[in-house]
Amino acid sequence: MAITEIIFWFLSALAVISAIMVVLSKSPVHSVLWLIAVFFAISGHYVLLNAQFIAIVNIIVYAGAIMVLFLFVLMLMNLNKETEPQKNLWMKLTGVVSGGCLLIILISLVRQATEIKGKIAVTKTGDIGLIKVLGKELFSSYVVPFEISSVLFLSAMIGAVVIGKKD
Amino acid sequence: MSNILSVLLQATNTADNYFPIGIQLIFAAGFVATMIAVSALLGPKRKTKEKLENFTSGIESHGDARQPVAIKYFLVAILFVLFDVEVIFFYPYAVNFRELGWEGFMAVLMFVAFFLIGFIYIIKKGALNWED
Amino acid sequence: MPERAELGVMNAIIFSALIGVVMMLGGIVIKSNAGIKLLAIILLFILLGSHLAEYYDLFNIHIQTHGMLAKSRFGMFFNTIIISLTLLYVLLSGDEIVKVGTYGAEYFALIFFSLCGATILSSYNNLLMLFLGVEIMTIPLFVLTSSEKKNLKSNEAGLKYFLMGSFSTGILLMGIALYYGGTGLFAIEASKAANEAQQAFRILLPLGLLFIFISLSFKVSAAPFHFWTPDVYDGAPSVFTSFMATIVKTAGFIAFIKLFELRSVDMGYSWKILLPLIIILTLLAGNITAVFQQSVKRMLAYSSIAHAGFMLFALYNPNDFGKQGIMLYTVAYSLATIGTFAVLTKMKDYTYEGYNGLAKTKPVLAATNTIFILSLAGIPLTAGFFAKYYMLASALKESTSNLWLVIVAVLFAAVSVYYYFRVIQAMYFKDGNAETTEIKPFFKTLLIIIAALIIVIGLMPSLLLDLFYA
Repeated sequence: MAITEIIFWFLSALAVISAIMVVLSKSPVHSVLWLIAVFFAISGHYVLLNAQFIAIVNIIVYAGAIMVLFLFVLMLMNLNKETEPQKNLWMKLTGVVSGGCLLIILISLVRQATEIKGKIAVTKTGDIGLIKVLGKELFSSYVVPFEISSVLFLSAMIGAVVIGKKD
Repeated sequence: MSNILSVLLQATNTADNYFPIGIQLIFAAGFVATMIAVSALLGPKRKTKEKLENFTSGIESHGDARQPVAIKYFLVAILFVLFDVEVIFFYPYAVNFRELGWEGFMAVLMFVAFFLIGFIYIIKKGALNWED
Repeated sequence: MPERAELGVMNAIIFSALIGVVMMLGGIVIKSNAGIKLLAIILLFILLGSHLAEYYDLFNIHIQTHGMLAKSRFGMFFNTIIISLTLLYVLLSGDEIVKVGTYGAEYFALIFFSLCGATILSSYNNLLMLFLGVEIMTIPLFVLTSSEKKNLKSNEAGLKYFLMGSFSTGILLMGIALYYGGTGLFAIEASKAANEAQQAFRILLPLGLLFIFISLSFKVSAAPFHFWTPDVYDGAPSVFTSFMATIVKTAGFIAFIKLFELRSVDMGYSWKILLPLIIILTLLAGNITAVFQQSVKRMLAYSSIAHAGFMLFALYNPNDFGKQGIMLYTVAYSLATIGTFAVLTKMKDYTYEGYNGLAKTKPVLAATNTIFILSLAGIPLTAGFFAKYYMLASALKESTSNLWLVIVAVLFAAVSVYYYFRVIQAMYFKDGNAETTEIKPFFKTLLIIIAALIIVIGLMPSLLLDLFYA
């Protein structure tokens, strides 16, 4: 097994296990920490796929900034043992059944796709994820969505001020 | 010579170059983990009641330390994220600064102008005033 | 392809974003509520003017969009409708909007940004723009929903809407990613070359479309993805519910139709099973639950789900009838809903009892409200009748095997008459002293104009549809 493959499997296992731990952890703070592990594992995948810019953005914005926001929310909510919501058993059961159905559909889909069978991710090739190429695309073909996204940011700013500021 | 150089330049842009970073990450995490584990194993343990109590400068501790924080922190944090994302977009632009020319400059200028308006708005609304 | 793509950006998108910015800065300068409302109305007139200037080829801004946006008659006409409706809405409810909280100018700015999202949805040609459009349209709504900060119900509604909305956006993104995996494209129109190159992964396409379908069903509150609607519509300040239930909802349908008109073939046979099922579920969930409501506001929330069921007919059969029908439905449903909500915001008590005896105390309000409600119920001589008629006709035109679906829809329309008429019954045949807040003559005049519009369109729907082809 080549070293790339070892890293690939290691990162995949890390991502899946951490993602499961996010859901299973009793303490929300632990969930956030596991989520950070997921982000790092996925960033590793991005690097393997030669998508370096996304890898860095994923760490700076998601693992850095967004996770800080998550922690702030946890601290805002003042979670105690007493205020923990009661979880309905039936609710959990329906969740498992419906999630399982989706999983079965996805698995059967991949199994049906005979063309994909036996192929693994193409690693370390292609240059579309490199910052230089990505920047050129972003500021030429995708310049309109790029500009329009600033409207989104503005409404988010207004929203933060309207909801978050004391009257 | 130029051949080697081009190979080297090419090499700066593949996943292989992240290998040392990965090694370093493993070492950093491993070092921290070993240190904690070793000090826990080797250090003396005297688990008396007084030892396990939180240290609060000699005053007896009372209540819960987990108080809800003020919403002000959250407001600043969320505004930080927005501007953080803005700054991220400068990076691919800066790398292509020359090739993109005036057209790219105008695109970035417009993007920044929108954010600047947002910034002026935030300042004028006093969203960053700590005391109110 | 430079001859086609390139005039894609529409004045409406640019201007609605810019006037949103002007509005939010205007809020810093102008302090009085009346001034803010006036500024909003002036800006809306400018927006409408700029859009009409483009509609009649007088002036438009040319931007190379690289095929991200595509101008179509359908989209342009829809934009004319929603901008006019927003103008009407602001004229009618502007006073209530500024009264919701201390951020009057911001509320208007958010409405303009939301409108910007709606105009993107009517002209997107690329799934990235679909995503941006949906986000720009809904994020301001999360804020507007929870804008009544002292009201716990409003806060709860905002949080629910935000959580469910972001979850469904996640599904949308997943769908777009699978779509990209299946076709190698973000564009909604299939390009042959790219399709053949991606043949191996084509199996991902139906699943991607299914995910997008689920997410958009959520946005237009089609059953079984409708559970957020009653709570959010009920909890949000009434003025903003009116905006959400009309302009935003119909824009969601336009986005829906634009994509699946081209792509429903790729979902194969399951499309023909899935959609009738969803239509019936939506009609069932909306109409039957509406019967049991005690509050008129909540009843209207359920009735908006029921109307979504009818609008889904246009998605099922995007033929000429369906397309004209969705335009007619947009106008008829939005006019009537804006009208009833305008009356509702003036009421002190939102229950049916609160309407008791309105005909005696405020005859104009009761009379116009009756017309709005008749139109919502789809009684002949009102616009609502032809809207429903076109929807059902579109199904029959597609194939006579849809007859059973049409019959079911008609039965549910009959059920809806029951809960709509309870309002009329309360206003005219029950004794009581319906209390309202102060009503200005201008407000009454506008209500009469809207009611007149509904009747004119109900008598001659061709007036509107001719404009569509003009």
